Amino acid sequence: MGPPRHSLDTLRPLSEEELIEWEEAYAAVEAYLQALRLRNRLLVAELVRSILWRASARRIDEPEKPARLLAMEEALTEIAEWTQDVLDVPLENRRLAARGRLALLLAGMPDKWQGVFLTPSPWPQEFVQAMSKSYLAAGPRFQTLTMVPKPLELNAIGTGAAQWWETMDRQPIVRFMFLGVLSLVILLAAWYFFLH
Amino acid sequence: METPDLSPPAAGRPFYGRFRTLVRRILFFGSVGLVNLATTLWLADLFWRMSWQKAHYPLLVVFIVLNGLLVLGSFHAIFGAFARLTSRGGAVRITKLADGQTGPLRARHAVVMPVYNEDSVRICARIEAIYRSIKDTGHLESFDFFILSDTRDLDLWVMEETAWTNLCRRLGGFGRIYYRRRKNNENRKAGNIGDFVRTWGGGYEAMLVLDADSLMDGADIVTMARIMETYPRLGILQTPPKLIRGASVFTRLQQFAMRLYGPLFIRGLNFWQLSGGSYWGHNALIRLKPFSEFCELPALPGREPFGGRILSHDFVEAALMVSQGWEVWLAWDIEGTYEEAPPTLMDHLIRDRRWCQGNLQHLWLIFARKLPFSVRMHLFMGIMAYLGSPLWFLFLLLGTWIAWDRYSSNLSVLPFDSYVARWFHISGMGQTLILTGSIFALLFLPKILAVIGAILSSRTRRSFGGMIPILAGALLETFVSMLLAPCIMAAHTVMVFKIFIGRAVGWGNQNRENDGTSWGDAIRFHAFPTVLGVIWSFIALKISVTFTAWMSPILLGLVLSAPVSVWTSRARYGRALARSKILSTAEELNPPQVIRYADTATSAVDPALDATVEGRRGIISAVVDPYVNGVHVSLLEPTEQSELTAAEEILAERCLAEGPAGLTKNELSELLYLAPAMLMMHRAVWLRSMEGIHSIWTQAVESYRRRLDQPSTAELTQ
Repeated sequence: MGPPRHSLDTLRPLSEEELIEWEEAYAAVEAYLQALRLRNRLLVAELVRSILWRASARRIDEPEKPARLLAMEEALTEIAEWTQDVLDVPLENRRLAARGRLALLLAGMPDKWQGVFLTPSPWPQEFVQAMSKSYLAAGPRFQTLTMVPKPLELNAIGTGAAQWWETMDRQPIVRFMFLGVLSLVILLAAWYFFLH
Repeated sequence: METPDLSPPAAGRPFYGRFRTLVRRILFFGSVGLVNLATTLWLADLFWRMSWQKAHYPLLVVFIVLNGLLVLGSFHAIFGAFARLTSRGGAVRITKLADGQTGPLRARHAVVMPVYNEDSVRICARIEAIYRSIKDTGHLESFDFFILSDTRDLDLWVMEETAWTNLCRRLGGFGRIYYRRRKNNENRKAGNIGDFVRTWGGGYEAMLVLDADSLMDGADIVTMARIMETYPRLGILQTPPKLIRGASVFTRLQQFAMRLYGPLFIRGLNFWQLSGGSYWGHNALIRLKPFSEFCELPALPGREPFGGRILSHDFVEAALMVSQGWEVWLAWDIEGTYEEAPPTLMDHLIRDRRWCQGNLQHLWLIFARKLPFSVRMHLFMGIMAYLGSPLWFLFLLLGTWIAWDRYSSNLSVLPFDSYVARWFHISGMGQTLILTGSIFALLFLPKILAVIGAILSSRTRRSFGGMIPILAGALLETFVSMLLAPCIMAAHTVMVFKIFIGRAVGWGNQNRENDGTSWGDAIRFHAFPTVLGVIWSFIALKISVTFTAWMSPILLGLVLSAPVSVWTSRARYGRALARSKILSTAEELNPPQVIRYADTATSAVDPALDATVEGRRGIISAVVDPYVNGVHVSLLEPTEQSELTAAEEILAERCLAEGPAGLTKNELSELLYLAPAMLMMHRAVWLRSMEGIHSIWTQAVESYRRRLDQPSTAELTQ
């Protein structure tokens, strides 16, 4: 986090375009902190200010990069490094950064530990423990069973019917002939019972 | 966990002896057969008396089947009433095995809820209620919970993840409540359960299978687990779920009927099926080892709709269990077992399309070897639940034809002598009235017995709100079900016909909401029965007024299909009836604790982790929201891959540039399964300014700038 009460001298003098650019950067960082459910306005303002201060310092060496990009990179790096320090595990790849964000949620940072967020150590022991315990498991340890389908054992009628059915499936001509004969039988029966 | 050999032959004496089972089955089916035979002979004699003609042959054949089904159904209630009256203390009750047991459970059990495109908050509310209910018993340590998702809607998938995470956060359920989504939903629900069994089944003695709308009382679940542990021959323990939360008239009619008449049928069913029961797909406890060994479903000969994968897997799984010597019991006296019903007639019939195809597939199993009698009976009854409709339709058509033939030929009825006239000295009209009376008695006796039983039992009477609500409800239910029956018959007939000509049905999710049916939808959906009813009415009037009067219950039901469908779908009418306690049930008037838990369950909802906010729903949230993204990525299976391939990067960039709508569902699904892509997109939407990314992302990012505790515009304008 940037030093408190640091002046904004490094931001001056700013053109109108630069002001708009830094306004966008401010909005993005503020939105991200609010997306992390930080509710306290003072806290958010202070964090945004310090992050922008660091971004503005970087801007001197990287003038081609937009202010928003620099500010958000600073914000994400700051959060990732801080959660790494709290969890005391290296978050080498980005996937583990997600683990860090998840830990913030599961440890109840938005409700209980806003004041601790992004502060230097030492942190309350309860908070550190809550962060360390926070992980998701979609299931317990695998304990497998095998399931193998056994073929359906049909009796003589069923076997005959299955063979006939599969033949009709394979050969449309047989199916059409069968349907034709069946229709004829039904018509004959209807004629016999009702019209004869 | 090391499980000893508990195959049925090595598992001690059966709970109910074979000989006594045989006696009960002979008594039950002998009675059904005798009454059916007597009624059929009576009708044949009447036909003879009215001068026999050839058209009477097919009519009589169809009557034998239909009347057999009617007698079978009715005798379930009669035997149920008989069992209820005579078996005080001596009923065949598998739950007796758990009487007096209070110690800790010996084994671990799983509670599994397969879900498919459901409302995640609701399913989590049910899990929460069951969790709390089991916790109240002090046996929570013996249970793990699994939400087994086959959800295909990608937004709903993300919502399920967040709802589950919130649920676990609030209940402290991590490590006890699990969530798993299948990437490929092969073989639907049976495949979903099978996947659980293969992956985790070895860790549990039994699994309690729930439906997405199921609810069960914790104490009853513990009782079931005790029975499973005590009786090693038991393979499946099914409970009879009660319908709850009916808001529309249609659902309230169903839940009232099931609550009032259901227990008699259930007792009757238990009278003969005993250890050869069936499995209804949910609210049942299943022993995992034999299930894994015998219940992987075989493919049926040929293709769908008759062949291929078995759709209605539950009956078949019970059949396979029983055929291998395992017992399947119905725990008829388990009270705390609930489910919900489709809210409208249309939804009911849409669900029936799937069940119809599934049950008709069971025709193959009738010809399977080694299936015991009870299994074949269950399969037969399941098939006839749908084939009965076209048969009834055919019966009515044949009857109309004979009446028309008589009318158009202008022939007078020749008085023939008959056995009934000779032996009982009954006139032709008397013989007709007795037959009609018998049919009506078979139709209505179950209801009458149930109503009398409910009124005479003070506890039951009070649970329904008193005698007047019982009588009013029963009359209304009888009247409306008479109107509904012809419409359902016509719909089932069309279903069966379509399946016979090879048109398979889909397997969509159920609508469990109570929106009601619009007039336009109802008229389109019920066009066939309406037109059929109008044409049939003209023909009937042409034949004679008397014939029309005889046919009027059928014709009215057909003609009024659409209005009845609309009227019964309305929740406001349902609520009006509820205010007068009409069609109310015990669970509605005095909800048990587990229902109260479910009604007040809110653990799955937390603004801190929410994928349902307008403007950043589901997938949008999984990309933009730092926590939802964290949850989603953490739940993906770990892989070595930490960087994207070129093709994956192009896909992710397309998603950023065109928004989720620019990708196909498969492409989106692929992205959602790629942890590096989800992380890259999360960074991108926050790092990049408006240029180069779709406005859907920038708007979602912008939406966080409104303070979370700031009242919404809608609230301010109120």
